[in-house]
Amino acid sequence: MPSKYIVGRVGMFFLTIFLASTLVFFLPRLSGRDPFREKLFEEAQRGGYLEDVDEIAAALNERYGFDRPLWQQYVSYLGEIARFDLGTSQFTFSKSNNQLLAETLGWTIGLTFISAMVAFFIGTGMGAIMEWRRQNTGLLAAMAPFLMMSAVPYFIFGLVLLTVFWFSWLQAFDWELFPPYGAYDPTVEEWPDWSDFRFLGSAVWHATLPALSIVLVSLGGWAMGMRGMMVTTKGEDYMLQAEAKGLPDNVRFYRYAIRNSLLPQLTGLALQIGLIVSGVVLVEIVFTYPGVGGLLVQSIRNSDYPLIQGIVFVLAFCTAVTTLLLDMIYPLIDPRISYSGN
Amino acid sequence: MSNATDTVTGPEPMMAEPSSFESIYRERLVPMGRYLRRNKLMVGGLSILGVIVLLVIIGHLFYQQDDRKGNPQGVSELVYAASVPPRLKPSWNPWGEYPLGTDEQGRDILAHVLIGTPKTFRIGAIAAAIGIGVGLILAFVGAYVGGWADLIIRLLVDSLIPIPGLLVLILIATSLNPGQGLTENQLAFAIAVLAWPGPARVIRSQVLVMRERGYVTMAQMSGTSALGIIFKEMMPNLAPYLLASYVAALTGAMLATIGVETLGLGDIDAPTLGAMLYWIIFTNALLKAQWWWLIPPIVVIVALFVGLFMISAGLDEVANPRLRRRV
Repeated sequence: MPSKYIVGRVGMFFLTIFLASTLVFFLPRLSGRDPFREKLFEEAQRGGYLEDVDEIAAALNERYGFDRPLWQQYVSYLGEIARFDLGTSQFTFSKSNNQLLAETLGWTIGLTFISAMVAFFIGTGMGAIMEWRRQNTGLLAAMAPFLMMSAVPYFIFGLVLLTVFWFSWLQAFDWELFPPYGAYDPTVEEWPDWSDFRFLGSAVWHATLPALSIVLVSLGGWAMGMRGMMVTTKGEDYMLQAEAKGLPDNVRFYRYAIRNSLLPQLTGLALQIGLIVSGVVLVEIVFTYPGVGGLLVQSIRNSDYPLIQGIVFVLAFCTAVTTLLLDMIYPLIDPRISYSGN
Repeated sequence: MSNATDTVTGPEPMMAEPSSFESIYRERLVPMGRYLRRNKLMVGGLSILGVIVLLVIIGHLFYQQDDRKGNPQGVSELVYAASVPPRLKPSWNPWGEYPLGTDEQGRDILAHVLIGTPKTFRIGAIAAAIGIGVGLILAFVGAYVGGWADLIIRLLVDSLIPIPGLLVLILIATSLNPGQGLTENQLAFAIAVLAWPGPARVIRSQVLVMRERGYVTMAQMSGTSALGIIFKEMMPNLAPYLLASYVAALTGAMLATIGVETLGLGDIDAPTLGAMLYWIIFTNALLKAQWWWLIPPIVVIVALFVGLFMISAGLDEVANPRLRRRV
């Protein structure tokens, strides 16, 4: 019963969103702090004398609705979340959180999506071929360094890449192989303009090292997972039958072996999304990529709670949506499974 | 219960007394050594961690700065060199007083790494232990009590796993100790809050499988209480899974520690590996060509994670006998 499965899965999705938004609401409020007042005091200390700190803080808190009872704030917050209104940043007055996120989220999603997909498909393919052409032991040997790399956190590997491909290169050849920071060459004023091929090239060139630090680290895990599944699949009776009835090698490989081994890989991808997003945020900081990571660090430094909450909620939301979509793909790939809901 | 055990005959009485060191050696250590010889990954991982531990110990024993002025009473010299800047310019001179050089704030990098590595490991170890403990309890409650308790635990686990852990940690960190950043123990507890869903899921499915096994049914029929079954029958069989989950949780917790500290949410003035990365990234050390500052923490962190990865791959072979290589 696919419809029951879909209803259950969508229910799970809303539960995740609800839990995430509730955590996002209550966790920062547990501290019982008053960021406006603290910031004003800080300013007062820095700039000498500042009158009526308490009154100004109270007025600001009233304007943001922070003076109301907690349950009222919570109810109106849930309403805003349902409308995707992430509120106003406390310390970036000219822009709403939605605007700030709209400027940065695209870079993050692009980087995450492309590098995660590249890693998933190349890694899975490598694992599949590795097991299918078992007699070719060179493939296994080629895999070893990728396996070791898969242990290292993305952003640490990013620092390694930065040292090797930017710093050492610059020292050795007095020439930049890859740029060390940013998402495109900022010297051209009319950019960003996606219809300009030079801009596109510049963006790809800037994204190479951040993307590589995700791809190279993830490859090994996908390859080993796929290899393990292929071992099991190769031992199945239907594989023997396919061989016995004389199906060509590539048909058995693509239509029989890969298709039957792919499902656990997708489950793995769905489970990994959260980790990948956490990792990408740190990679962006290493490469000063103009994505959500940088905004997050800035908001942490300012103790800008509404903005931190907005960023965390949006990232959790994107993760939950991706997980949901992946779970919805299952029935398309493997029609055998019965979705009875339990 | 005693009646049931009395009637058991067979090889039990002969195996019963491993009291002398001799028999422990023959029954436990020799097979373990024989097994380790085959499990090269585990040996490799253990050796990497062993080398790190050894270097840290040797460093603590021998590496001390003796002409530190203004060292307050009761503060060991190594800690002092790592936490309080001797106000030197960032420099690198391997044959000088500071073998790995000094950083932007003039701190001794070698001292920083020597102090920071065990600190990071300790935070991860505490967080992972709490996470596994909570996960274990919830797994048994879920699998044994069943019904509503199981449903709630399962729903919580399933809905928490997709939420990126680092982000929740950021929220916890901003609320727990704002401004100063989290202390080490706060960080460990904050990470532990997020470390239980994974182990809970793995252990619960294992317990469900185990509950149907013959030896558990046997114990049930002979009147062993639920707690007796859990501790006497299931726990020994769960041990490899617990160990594997612990290593996985430890890796995750250390990654979270370093990540949170790199974001500047830990104590940025404390000599931890993450705080080191925070300063390296936010003072643009590499753009200023201060490569000697970056390399030590990177090497240590990569070695730690590769070592743990190899151990966990080796344990996977123990916990998952299908993977065990046939001799």
